[in-house]
Amino acid sequence: MRILYINNDGSGYADYINIAENTTIDQFFAIKMQGQQESDHLIRVNRQPVPRDYILRDGDRVTITPRKIEGATY
Amino acid sequence: MKKFRNKIKLANMLQEAFCKLKKAKLRHLKDKFEQFRYKCSEVAKDSHIFYTAVDKGWFGAAEKIKTRVNRNLCDFSYQLQQFKNLSDSEEIKLPKLVVIFADLNQIEDEFGELKFDLEEKTISVITDSIELDDIALGPFEIKLFVDQMSKLYSSNAPYKVIALEPNPAATDGNVTHPHVSSEQVCEGDGHIAIRVAIEQGRLCDLFTMVANILKTYNPDSPYVALSDWEGICCYDCGYTVADDDCYYCENCEHDYCSSCSSYCQICETTICMGCSYECPACNQPVCSTCTAACSECDEILCKDCINEEGLCNNCQEQREEDEDEELKEKTTTPDTIPAVQPDSLGQTRIPA
Repeated sequence: MRILYINNDGSGYADYINIAENTTIDQFFAIKMQGQQESDHLIRVNRQPVPRDYILRDGDRVTITPRKIEGATY
Repeated sequence: MKKFRNKIKLANMLQEAFCKLKKAKLRHLKDKFEQFRYKCSEVAKDSHIFYTAVDKGWFGAAEKIKTRVNRNLCDFSYQLQQFKNLSDSEEIKLPKLVVIFADLNQIEDEFGELKFDLEEKTISVITDSIELDDIALGPFEIKLFVDQMSKLYSSNAPYKVIALEPNPAATDGNVTHPHVSSEQVCEGDGHIAIRVAIEQGRLCDLFTMVANILKTYNPDSPYVALSDWEGICCYDCGYTVADDDCYYCENCEHDYCSSCSSYCQICETTICMGCSYECPACNQPVCSTCTAACSECDEILCKDCINEEGLCNNCQEQREEDEDEELKEKTTTPDTIPAVQPDSLGQTRIPA
């Protein structure tokens, strides 16, 4: 099934991707953000916070934004 | 109902702005292409001159041209990379009105309130009160200027970060946050993702990322470090200075501003005005360890003004004068006075 995946980490990414049926948001995060902590990210599905065991559906919009983004002087 | 209608108007305004932004990106790409094309023509011109120089045996000229080509190639690769980055980027798909409207609703959900002004064409959110390392910086307003979005590629970011209860750095009133100066945030790690979010019309992501930058302290690259936020107070005059404008007196072990500090002209140790001593002979400031007393007059001078015999210039001159006097006295004693003819002895012829 196809979802819109937006990742605001690093250089940003926003595109449709295919995922397996019955993938939970927890599993999706573990696949896409290997080694990262969920608590360090703001996760929204269809613009809303969801529980970890939320099962993704076709056409869902998933956004992952890091909570800690380091600013800097240029 | 009015609020709903105004939100629709706002969404329409944003859709127009995103359309202008897309055109601005293509114009920016065109400018980069033009710069790249110019660099190519420069390289082609230089190569033609180089061939001529080599064919005619002008090897000195050929070497110079080779150096110039090498220099141009550095610019060339930079221009090429910039152009490639732009041309590699995905085509911007303009968001539909319903998506923009949903984004505005999400901003309200995430930040509690969405402020907008249709006349000024601004959209604002207010963050929670920010506290970093126990320093309260207050809440910030992130204000997006919709009309400036199309200038994304030619000027500063189209949004400002305004401190609502400012607690600026002691040494710079414009720095209201370690990563905010003059209401511009330094996006750092978020720079590219923020740019992409603006291009793709994801304003909630823009506001969220900026707010997260404000909540994160990067000690490696702030305008003013939090450890210096309150500044350092000069021990003498009380003026607050930045850490790197501060001087440490090694004698009394206190911090001073540049006006209240100096350095020893002999050993170059930093000292405060209170610990420095002005040599009465040369008027130079010195530290206490670089002073010495004249063995004759006991006056305290800098070591440079005391000679090897432990005398100051005045005493040395005085000694030399005294020695000269002694010498003169010795040369005028009686056994050395030549014989003078006594009175009324002998005759002499006096001409008429």
